[in-house]
Amino acid sequence: MTSVPLVSVFSADDSSKVTAKHIPLPAVFQTPIRPDIVSFVHTNIAKNRRQAHAVNPQAGMQHSAESWGTGRAVARIPRVSGSGTHRSGQAAFGNQCRKGRMSLPIKVWRRWHRRVNIKQKRHAAATAVAATGIVPLVLARGHRISQVPQIPLVVEDKIESYEKTTDALNFLKRFGAFEDVQKVVSTKVVRAGISKQRGKKYRVRKGPLVVYFNENAKLLKAFRNVPGVEVVNVTRLNLLQLAPGGQLGRFVIWTQSAFAHLDKLFGTYRYSSIIKDGYQLLRPLITNPDLARIINSNQVQEKVQPAKTTKVLHEVQKKNPLKNTKAMDRLNPYAKKQRAAAAAAIKANTKGTKKIKKNKALKKASRAAYNKVAASLNDATKAAVQEEQDIKVKYFSVQKGAAQTE
Amino acid sequence: MQIDEVVWQVINRGHCSFKIKTISQNFCRNEYNVTGLCSKQSCPLANSQYATIKEEKGLCYLYVKTAERAQKPKELWEKILLSKNYEQALAQIDEQLKYWSNFMIHKNKQRLTKLRQMLIRIRKMRLKGFKELIPIKKKAERRDKIREQKALVAANLENAIEQELIDRLKNGVYNEIMNYNTKAFEKVVGQNQMEDEEEREQQELEEEEEDYSDEELIFDPNDLEEDDDEEDQDDEEDDKRLFQKQTFNQLRRDNDEVKDIKKKKPRVQLQYEEEEEVEDRKKQQIAF
Repeated sequence: MTSVPLVSVFSADDSSKVTAKHIPLPAVFQTPIRPDIVSFVHTNIAKNRRQAHAVNPQAGMQHSAESWGTGRAVARIPRVSGSGTHRSGQAAFGNQCRKGRMSLPIKVWRRWHRRVNIKQKRHAAATAVAATGIVPLVLARGHRISQVPQIPLVVEDKIESYEKTTDALNFLKRFGAFEDVQKVVSTKVVRAGISKQRGKKYRVRKGPLVVYFNENAKLLKAFRNVPGVEVVNVTRLNLLQLAPGGQLGRFVIWTQSAFAHLDKLFGTYRYSSIIKDGYQLLRPLITNPDLARIINSNQVQEKVQPAKTTKVLHEVQKKNPLKNTKAMDRLNPYAKKQRAAAAAAIKANTKGTKKIKKNKALKKASRAAYNKVAASLNDATKAAVQEEQDIKVKYFSVQKGAAQTE
Repeated sequence: MQIDEVVWQVINRGHCSFKIKTISQNFCRNEYNVTGLCSKQSCPLANSQYATIKEEKGLCYLYVKTAERAQKPKELWEKILLSKNYEQALAQIDEQLKYWSNFMIHKNKQRLTKLRQMLIRIRKMRLKGFKELIPIKKKAERRDKIREQKALVAANLENAIEQELIDRLKNGVYNEIMNYNTKAFEKVVGQNQMEDEEEREQQELEEEEEDYSDEELIFDPNDLEEDDDEEDQDDEEDDKRLFQKQTFNQLRRDNDEVKDIKKKKPRVQLQYEEEEEVEDRKKQQIAF
């Protein structure tokens, strides 16, 4: 918000010489930068230069066309009456029709101009002037100011008496403003579109804006023919020139008297404007716009509470602690040790078995025992089977015997 | 410092003439930008304290900008020459940007590295030499090609050569060389010929007369292997016969050497014809 509080006035003949060393900046340059206000005001003010135009009210309607109605296997749109020409029977009148009138034809009584509140307009102008004094904004707008000795550029009143264009050119060259003029010259393009047939053949960029004060100044004529350069009186500063296209940061060259007049024109924070009756410069919402600096400053950081860590209430997905060891450990921290101990115990128990060599004798003995048991079992089963057969034989023989006897 | 925040809001949200927007990324066209990207940290406009490395004629310079000089665009950038030694240059950066943000120091060192690598590459290319790529301009190429063809046709090379050679003959450049086609000879003298023969003659003439340029093939009377009896240089007719025979010899020799297959066959045929002619004439003569 604050630019350089002190400004030097340069000699018109020699850019290295300074005629007045420390002039305080007018308060306008400390107005808060409000691109929103400027944008709004600009879009509306830009409409004020428009000239009324309209479409011929009879265009497309000079027929006695009537709709044929239904039943004729054609669309119901009005059709040109008569016969003997291609045109007869063709659709007419509608905006969709060929040779029909446009929808909502433009009328002369369209509201061409916009009124903007005076205060808004003044605020916009003030902001635009302030932006003029901020180097990055002027650069971002596209002006070539890398060789300019100071921004805002204030020059002694001598330039107001320039009559020759050569003087004007040399002056611009001396102050590094010629690069901007060259930019304008090299980027002059034939305009696209019909406007070129309507008197706007070329699209030309904006160069420096020279602001003077004395009404008798002749510099208008000197600078008139330099491409891109515009000349304006302080009392008639125009937002459309200060922020062309609604874009802040025009490159402005002030004369000393013009610069001095700004305080009277816009007023300061101590007194309201003399010329703009009752106008008070906009006050900023915050005086120091550097938020990062404020937040990180000691004074703020002291009072600030420590940062809260996010508390996790539960897992995103439930894990079964009986299966998931980590989940188990979360619930029972001792579980880990328990598991380790169990594992160790198992290891201890099973420590020998792995290392026993198979005792052949033992094996043999066990096998013998098994066989014995098996054999006895076999004997038992055999005996049982035999017994059963004996019984059967006995029975049947008895039976037979019985049968025979009978 | 105070304005930086405001400036960034205005530039970023609004319009910045250096910003280039692409689908994936935003670039910064400002010549002093360290990274080349459009971001708040690397914006040379939105930072009143800024540093870059720039290369000029093989030397790297550190450009430093401070808030104190913010209103004087001409004196804004302080230019510090960096050492040619890479490590020393890095140390210089550390020294000049002491207590600056890590981002700035780091990016400057990165940029220095990149520039130095580029310079090395340039030097290598200069020493090694490199293939310069020239674009092929389709339209121009196409146009030239067609014009060449037209020019070739328009030049009438064959006629021109023929004329040139005939002129040379007339001027006596080829002293005493008798090896030429009878028909061509007659033509030179100025007798009418049939058009077909003429064409063939032209071709043959071309062949034979072109051969004169080769020293090997230039006829030398001493080289004659055939009968000397028939040589009679007083009579034109005899001369003719001589010419024909010698041509035949020449041609035979030529046949072995000439690689043009196109001309071989017809020439061979002709030779036989000539031979017959010669023999016929001989017979005629004898008859007389």
